[in-house]
Amino acid sequence: MSDPGDAAVASESDAATLDEAEAGAPERSERAGPNAADADATGTESDAAESAGDAAERAGDAAESAGDAAERAGDAAERASETPTDRERRREVATDRWLGIAGAALALVGLGVLVRQPSLVLSGAVGVGYAVYARAGDAPTPTLSVTRSVSDEAPAPGDEVRVTVRAENVGETALPDLRLVDGVPPGLAVVDGPARVATALRPGTAVTFEYTVRAARGDHEWEPLTAVTRDAAGARERTTVLDAPTAIACTPELSAGGDLPLRGLTTVHHGRVPTDVGGAGVEFHATREYRRGDPLKRIDWNRRARTGELSTVELREERSATVVLLVDARESAYVAADPDAETAVEASVAAAGQAFSALLDGGDRVGIAALSPLDCWLPPGSGTVHAARGRETLATDPALAPTPSDERFYRSLWLRRFRRRLPADAQVLFFTPLVDDTAATLARRIDAHGHLVTVLSPDSTTTETAGQRLTTFERRQRLRSLRSAGIRALEWGDDSFPVAVAAATRRWSR
Amino acid sequence: MRPLALAGVLAVAVGLLAALDRGIAAAISPTSAVVTLIGVLGVVQGVRYANARRDRRRLLTDPGEPERRAPAAVPGSDLDERIARVASPAPGGYRDRRDLRDRVREVAVDAVARDRNCSPEAAATAVDDGTWSDDPVAAAFFDTRTAYPLRVRLSAGVRGRSNYWYGLRAAIDEIERVEGGAP
Repeated sequence: MSDPGDAAVASESDAATLDEAEAGAPERSERAGPNAADADATGTESDAAESAGDAAERAGDAAESAGDAAERAGDAAERASETPTDRERRREVATDRWLGIAGAALALVGLGVLVRQPSLVLSGAVGVGYAVYARAGDAPTPTLSVTRSVSDEAPAPGDEVRVTVRAENVGETALPDLRLVDGVPPGLAVVDGPARVATALRPGTAVTFEYTVRAARGDHEWEPLTAVTRDAAGARERTTVLDAPTAIACTPELSAGGDLPLRGLTTVHHGRVPTDVGGAGVEFHATREYRRGDPLKRIDWNRRARTGELSTVELREERSATVVLLVDARESAYVAADPDAETAVEASVAAAGQAFSALLDGGDRVGIAALSPLDCWLPPGSGTVHAARGRETLATDPALAPTPSDERFYRSLWLRRFRRRLPADAQVLFFTPLVDDTAATLARRIDAHGHLVTVLSPDSTTTETAGQRLTTFERRQRLRSLRSAGIRALEWGDDSFPVAVAAATRRWSR
Repeated sequence: MRPLALAGVLAVAVGLLAALDRGIAAAISPTSAVVTLIGVLGVVQGVRYANARRDRRRLLTDPGEPERRAPAAVPGSDLDERIARVASPAPGGYRDRRDLRDRVREVAVDAVARDRNCSPEAAATAVDDGTWSDDPVAAAFFDTRTAYPLRVRLSAGVRGRSNYWYGLRAAIDEIERVEGGAP
């Protein structure tokens, strides 16, 4: 079937073959038609059809190719490109659907003999027929060519993406009962239509089903499609997975927000973080005695008038900072107040994106790292190329994926690598839901190594059950202990990140 | 099972021979008793086979729910599972109970220290000797020398829960009160 030559040969066959084919075709389509899923009613017939053998199949093929010429040419061209999708057999089981039918038939015959009723014996014989029917045939291994297409491969967050899956039976056997379940990426939710179909496919026929997913941040790769086939009687079932790679990448735009006041660890370059170093700037810092060469505009003339001494006003120097945005993406950080809500990692990444933009706009050098079993490191930098890289990292880095990684996280290994990479003058903005002690401990250790840490914590806790309340108390306690250790900590829940930053900034000293 | 199988094979063999050789068939007189016996055998064996279906669930592949996004964990749901384990009055789960009590105690000490503006050591003493709370159930949760009030023990007995579960809930309620409102 996959060779276009087959179709051509079939179409050239003589009239007698075509007549024979046409005679056979309606019968075949009735047996293996879309209603074959309802195998109880038509199963006996389709078994008989299968046993009719190759002749009937060949006839069916010929009948198909005897259709409209243009359609035939198109089909042939399409089939040429249709190669079977890579498949992997998973398991084959007996469904026990007809279990006990032989016993029931035997009991009926026995009862007929006991009460001397030939009609009962005859009806028992019908049961024997069903028992034979259940044992005949095997669940076929599907040879399908699966193509999956998406309406948009790079959607914006929240966009609806239409997914179309087409599966063609390119094998030689009919599939009397086929169920296809698509492997929707775990980070995406289907908003319209089920991502599955139940049908029957003759060789050469195809089924198409569509559904819509709502795009969310990240690289989403489809998992293999699962095909469940059964024999006509539904007595045996085979599971096969078919690999049809498809992916979408959803990269949110970065919007600047949350003009975060940084802590006083800066580079030597000019920037906007006020420091405790006197020099050129805007804000008053101190006065000192006049030295030759001090600019005239910096001389404290009031003091000169009062005391006759020359003194110079020093202003706070404003310098740029090196900041690393550290996002907690360990498995324990994938939490939310509601199972269907956005996780804390999503909230952290969104806030990190806002901080990234705001800090880059302010002239600071910004890098990105993830507290995750997978490695993620974007060294601090500035400029438009760096901004694009940062956006890409936050959107699609596997370490910040919408669902947790299965790898194991080793805290000390991670910390050693992170410290080795961290520039000496870098401060850290640590985004974490703080639902366990590890995050708080790491924040303290990084701070103790001289990289000033600001903890920014999305609140994912809820208070419905005793365990949830206890977790909430513990998180609060962690925030308090961080603050008492001199680490700035900010949390935001229902209100947006910039609002929380604005409210917290008023409390913070420089 | 083997004698039964042997009898079955013999019966089938005799049946086949009878079908081929009329003499054997004529030897088996189809009296009422023989026919009844065959009928009873048929019914009994049939019912035996049909019975295999009972208590057997059909094996079907469950493809799961790919349409739903992977659900997020709710903070504290793991603790709720542990609390549910220690809720039954059955003995055991000692380590779970001790771990949970230690965690609640830590939070309680912190809350009391801030509420009374005292040192953590003083707060720990208050929690351990039960003076941190006016609620006797919450007090008894940390103070192992004090028994739970009778009403709690009665209620636990009637509802099939452990005293520990009542104490834990009372302690968390009390912490919330000390903290000054819902978290």
